[in-house]
Amino acid sequence: MTIASWLLYIIVGAHALGALAALGLRGAAGRVLGATGAGAGSLATLGLGAWCLGTGTVLAITAPILPLTGLALRVDGVSAFFLIVAGVAGAAASVYGAAYSAHYEGRYSLRLLGAMWNVLLLSLPIQVLADNALTFLMTWEVMSLSAYFLVLTEHDRRETVRAANWYLVVTHAGFAALVAAFLLLAAGDPTASFAAMRSAVLAPGTRDAVFVLALIGFGAKAGIVPLHVWLPMAHPVAPSHVSALMSGVVIKMGVYGLLRVSLDLLGGGPAWWGGLALGVGAVSALLGVLYALMEHDLKRLLAYHSIENVGIIFMGLGAGLVFQSYGLPALATLGFVAGLYHTLNHACFKGLLFLGAGSVLHATHTRNMEELGGLIHRMPRTAVGFLIGAAAISALPPLNGFASEWLVFQALLGGSTIPRAEIAVVMPIAVAMLALTSGLAVACFVKAFGITFLALPRSAEAAQAQEAPLAMQIGMGALVLACVALGLAPFFVVPVLGSALGGVGGLPTASVEFSLGTSFRVAGAVGQMSPLLVALGLALLIGLTLGSLRAFADRRLRPGDTWGCGRIGHTARMEYTATAFAEPLRRIFAELYRPTQDLSIDFHPASRYFVESIEYRSAIHPWFEQALYTPVLRLLRGAAHRVRRLQAGSLHLYLTYMTIVLVVLLIVARWPR
Amino acid sequence: MSDAFSQLSVLGSSLTLIFGLILLWRRGVPAYISAFAAQSAVLAGVAAVVAHFGREAELYWVAALLFLVKAVAIPKLLRDMERRFGTERELQPYVNTATSLVVAGLLVLFGYAIMRPLVAVSRLPTRAAMPLAMALVLVSLFVMISRKKALTQVVGFLMLENGIALLAILGTYGIPLIIELGVFLDALLGFIVMQIFVYQIHDTFETIDVEQLNRLRH
Repeated sequence: MTIASWLLYIIVGAHALGALAALGLRGAAGRVLGATGAGAGSLATLGLGAWCLGTGTVLAITAPILPLTGLALRVDGVSAFFLIVAGVAGAAASVYGAAYSAHYEGRYSLRLLGAMWNVLLLSLPIQVLADNALTFLMTWEVMSLSAYFLVLTEHDRRETVRAANWYLVVTHAGFAALVAAFLLLAAGDPTASFAAMRSAVLAPGTRDAVFVLALIGFGAKAGIVPLHVWLPMAHPVAPSHVSALMSGVVIKMGVYGLLRVSLDLLGGGPAWWGGLALGVGAVSALLGVLYALMEHDLKRLLAYHSIENVGIIFMGLGAGLVFQSYGLPALATLGFVAGLYHTLNHACFKGLLFLGAGSVLHATHTRNMEELGGLIHRMPRTAVGFLIGAAAISALPPLNGFASEWLVFQALLGGSTIPRAEIAVVMPIAVAMLALTSGLAVACFVKAFGITFLALPRSAEAAQAQEAPLAMQIGMGALVLACVALGLAPFFVVPVLGSALGGVGGLPTASVEFSLGTSFRVAGAVGQMSPLLVALGLALLIGLTLGSLRAFADRRLRPGDTWGCGRIGHTARMEYTATAFAEPLRRIFAELYRPTQDLSIDFHPASRYFVESIEYRSAIHPWFEQALYTPVLRLLRGAAHRVRRLQAGSLHLYLTYMTIVLVVLLIVARWPR
Repeated sequence: MSDAFSQLSVLGSSLTLIFGLILLWRRGVPAYISAFAAQSAVLAGVAAVVAHFGREAELYWVAALLFLVKAVAIPKLLRDMERRFGTERELQPYVNTATSLVVAGLLVLFGYAIMRPLVAVSRLPTRAAMPLAMALVLVSLFVMISRKKALTQVVGFLMLENGIALLAILGTYGIPLIIELGVFLDALLGFIVMQIFVYQIHDTFETIDVEQLNRLRH
């Protein structure tokens, strides 16, 4: 027994025990033990990933558990990396969830929540280890369904059921595409191993079809525009640690799948594959952040940012595929490394942000930012955690978001070395879209943090908020550390990622040179950066500012009134709102948002100069979603209507039909003419 | 030895068929549930007999599972459902009892006729029992067609499952355990779905008369 296989058994055992404990024990014991199993399993997942990546172990296990072909598992660099992603986010979210789910006690089924949480966490490592089509697809289904049940936790709300239904439909449409892709890849044999698929020779048309189907199937899971509709519905209504895991890891399985199929199994393809991935990535990134800006629901805003970040990851992968098709392995590795690095980083900071948003929701019972405010005084630790996550997702140095987005930029800029007209046009546009996305993301998180945590509380709930329990703080704290560490150490992470990708799909095994040391430079890239020096500079700057403040300034806190233009009696409701913050952008992108406004003013009966109340309503209408989904829904509804005509509505009639068919078939088979 | 095997399998299969016929003959749902439980126990016994004589160790597991799931767990769930609805009796079936029994007799003959070529070429000691299993399948289908109450139909469906399981055990000495497990899971899930539907029907129409489902159409 090697260490790796021991770790694998620990993963399975811990999650199984956790699920059983959650199912069997009532109250706090089941909740805590279930979370303990989940946390231990996740740590083992992290350990297995780190061990295999560090030692280069290749672990292959086949067990005759599944029919026909058996369960086949194999660890390589890519799957080891995704094990780390799942382990980090899963462990932090499990610790957090142990305390967070306490308030469900007596209202919703904690047993189901705890059991499904363990099933989902177990399916993630199995998913990335799967080494044949059947294992892959079955695990995919287990993962999708357990996530579905987790989304449904607060099952008595209409919006939850609606969100869960959308999720189920989109994810199964994607699953159908995946089944088709794997059947094409394996020439109709669903039991084929990945090794057989790698060596299979397919016609170019078939390969193209496989790639497009995989892009659709994995894109539906990853939340790529226009298959993203389920994401902003499902993430807000799920319990917050579930949102963190779904956004951090589950949608990343789409990234993993696309990488596995397009790079590993197909071995790369024509340049337009990469171009297509790059294009949908860029569109997703930009639209994701634009819709996020208009959201005032904290968790929904984060969900739109997941679309944005998955878009950025797809841009990295797309760039990698393009470079690979032009025979530029160094740049291709850079693109894939950038995408993978951003995957890990996004799992950390988006997990952190969802956990932070969950703490806010836990304390105030609202996700509406317009009713929050002033939380930095009441929940200082949550506020600091959320701020660090916000800075990371806004790609501010020296945090991890900066490191990976910088790499994506480097990869895209590297495209200037290809002397082709279409590349010369596409790459700068992609760079510009990414730059716009990054800028808008900063604006969005200034809004999210500022409106939620600064100023005065806008509602009684926000005024009475309490800091989150310790376990929730620990969960967030772990991810804060990960965000900072990953931001400071790209010179360590990037070579590891490069070697993880070595040999996959014809990428060079001897990894591309990445110069180590404090300054960080990647071969093929045009720029260099030194996150450590940046961090040092920032620390110096902050230290100097604080020091001079301490030395020279009067540091007493002086509360005073805001000047209200002479008007007396202003309230916290008159503070700057999220709607007001987003208004300029709403005007600029009016064509995209198609906003409607509704203003009604009640005047005092005695005089029109005195206003009793003002009601302002504004909504945005994502027209392209409607344009895309309305015809599909109409078609489905029409088909259902037509099918209904066939139904007599009598169960006995149906059963009689079936029996008659059976008897006739038996007779025909028995006495053939 | 082989003779005893053959005798025992025919005896077991005949018993399952007779328990199936109880559905056509009695009116009360509790009797149906007891018949189903007894039939499942006999089925488990047949599986054990085949396991013993056919030297198929895996079939012992199947027998134990059959007993636990179909002879203990599902009848218990059925009785819970029955208690919840009070005694609903199968008062007016589409086909009356006398005609039903005649039809059942014809179906058993049809089962023998269908299975004749198979029995003729088979060398299995269990071959004589196979037509009886086929007859059970057909009779169960007939129960589902001719009876109106949802609970009767659920029992009919479960007996259909038993018939198929019996045929599989007799004809192949047990399909691989994994498929057997899959079928169990299927039957259990199917049963749970039906249970939910029956509860919904009951809540919506305050009866579990399946005929009322016609009203759903509009």
